[in-house]
Amino acid sequence: MYSKLAMVIAVCGLVAAPAPASAHHSFAGEFDINKPIQLQGTVTKVEWINPHAWIHIDVTQPDGSVESWAIEGGTPNSLFRRGFTRDSVKIGTVINVDGYESRDGSRKANGRDLTLPDGTKLLMAGSRPN
Amino acid sequence: MRWRYLDLTGFLTVGVVCLLAAVPVEGQVFTTPWGDPDLQGTWTNRTLTPLERPAEFEGKPTLTEAEALEWEARLRDGNNTDIRTADSDYTPGTLRDVTAAYNTIWYDRGERIVADRRTSLVINPADGKVPELTPAGAARKVDLREADLREDLGRADSWEDFSAYVRCIIRSGLPRLSTGYNNNYEIVQTPGLVAIYQEQMHDIRLIPLDGRPHLPGAVRQWLGDSRGHWEGDTLVVETTNFTDQARGSLFLEATKDMVLVERFTRAGADMIDYRFTITDPATWTSSWTVALPWNREPGLIYEYACHEGNHGLMNSLSAARAADEAEAQEQP
Amino acid sequence: MISIAAVVLVVALGMELAGQAPSPTAERIQGRPNLSGIWQAVNEANWDLEAHEARPGPSQFGALFSEPAGLGVVVGNEIPYNASALEQKQENFANRWTADPAAKCYMPGVPRATYMPFPFQIIQGTGKIVIAYPFASATRLIHMEDVGESPVDTWMGWSHGRWEGDTLVVDVTSFVDQTWFDRAGNFHSAALHVVERYTPTGPNIIQYEATIEDPTVFTRPWTIRMPLYRRLDENAQLLEFKCIPFAEELVYGHLRRQVEN
Repeated sequence: MYSKLAMVIAVCGLVAAPAPASAHHSFAGEFDINKPIQLQGTVTKVEWINPHAWIHIDVTQPDGSVESWAIEGGTPNSLFRRGFTRDSVKIGTVINVDGYESRDGSRKANGRDLTLPDGTKLLMAGSRPN
Repeated sequence: MRWRYLDLTGFLTVGVVCLLAAVPVEGQVFTTPWGDPDLQGTWTNRTLTPLERPAEFEGKPTLTEAEALEWEARLRDGNNTDIRTADSDYTPGTLRDVTAAYNTIWYDRGERIVADRRTSLVINPADGKVPELTPAGAARKVDLREADLREDLGRADSWEDFSAYVRCIIRSGLPRLSTGYNNNYEIVQTPGLVAIYQEQMHDIRLIPLDGRPHLPGAVRQWLGDSRGHWEGDTLVVETTNFTDQARGSLFLEATKDMVLVERFTRAGADMIDYRFTITDPATWTSSWTVALPWNREPGLIYEYACHEGNHGLMNSLSAARAADEAEAQEQP
Repeated sequence: MISIAAVVLVVALGMELAGQAPSPTAERIQGRPNLSGIWQAVNEANWDLEAHEARPGPSQFGALFSEPAGLGVVVGNEIPYNASALEQKQENFANRWTADPAAKCYMPGVPRATYMPFPFQIIQGTGKIVIAYPFASATRLIHMEDVGESPVDTWMGWSHGRWEGDTLVVDVTSFVDQTWFDRAGNFHSAALHVVERYTPTGPNIIQYEATIEDPTVFTRPWTIRMPLYRRLDENAQLLEFKCIPFAEELVYGHLRRQVEN
């Protein structure tokens, strides 16, 4: 039950970033740590919105049917400052998603690691030097 | 006769003193057309330097260049969420990996420590650590941390179980430190007022310089109530009237009676020397001061319409209801 | 002796004065009118841009949220919808008490933010102008130099400003399609293009005009016009209006855990 998970979390206690408690986003409340997922799909739409971009992909199943998935990204603002635009992820691009499935059972996952089929990260460091 | 002598000396002295106050500090030529120091521009406070001095640097307030380069590289690696191996910080299948959430390209934590190679942002106390908490402050810190961890359990009753951050009301109370992204600001000045547009949550800080009193104590704001004045070339801003109406409205474990004093001094074309002092005796046993430079940001500020696109909170709540449903079906 | 004491006294006084002198005000900045200040539209445009009679609000509130009549602010008094867009407008109007995006505390867009019945503040700097609207903490950054196109559509638009004599002209593009122009359901698409004109006609009045162009919704551009009045209250200050907590029941209420009886 979830109280066991609570105990585990209380013992481990560690959340990713060295940021103050007030800057916590409850990813683990939205996506299931126990449901890692790998998908490959074709981009059908990208919502460049905040607080998270959403990359919509069509995933062809072994039986030939197609499932639509929504993959959560981060803030587009960081990308824009690196020189990316809404055209930087084109419709039809094939992407690999390594993430965690949504807890509510809908076809959503967080895009923990997004890569192209050749293994390079989606949106490699952009045109503007840091 | 003596009266006339006093007049002349007085006039000359005041004149000299006023001239001295108006003369720019060495190298500084940044003045608005109406004669105030000019802080305008697009700035970022992103940095790798942590708030508090790590144990490995106890007693060592600054580093040599070589030490700094080595530490910077380690800090960058620690932030690099793309390194997902069995022995890295982001091992797949761990809570830390889930909460890391994305590839590094989506983050904007910075690539450098502060230019003067300090080992902490805290400069007072001298040990680079936040002062000891009061018992009430320590209890608040524990409560806040536990509430954050409860968010990860996926069983929220309503949006009120989430922080103001997740609800997109504000994303961290003042003062702002360097966070995951959106560490960018636009300062715009007009006679009598300084405005600071914060990219995170498209918030605006409006700082009148005309010496008016603060708002009445009964009127509280998420970003407090700011009043500014010039001390030579330094903009001194005092902010009070914070609110505790929701978890995440305040800075760390502060109370709403915290007093924040910030100092902004232009330190060349591409830097503002920014420091703040916090006084909140209900929380910290002494005032403490942070120095966190603002560097010129060559990019632009972008709109961050958070609430309008907050699918994450919607999904977290639907996850909780799905869990309720699953639990209900388990029981005969 | 007395003269030395006098010098010391005067130096101390001079230093004190130099530290606390308030910044000057200025009627003009860099040769242009200084539009900085707190302003407010005083009309019925937020209820309905077009001329309209008084109307009821939601009935459970009696007269409390009923709507006053308005002369309208549209030049020519007609918003020129194309046929299918007019149907959408009428559907919006029928559902306006729940479908108005402002009910969810979404940012109101441009030009609606100008004539919502709340004060707003213009901060005119030397390279940018900020306009702060308290409702939903909406804020606009107006670039007074060319910064190129927006990489994405936004709620408050992407603004480039320039001066034509004493008129500030602001060209606004790159809108999302999710805001309304008023509570009556007047709306637009993502093709919206707004050109605003701010012309001071005295120290405390700005004549405001906005021309709206959206070829997917309207058959031609149309213009609204209204005075903006300076708030002259002593120590006038823009206060926060962070309305998200007031709107969360509406947005997320269906996902609140229901307590079993």
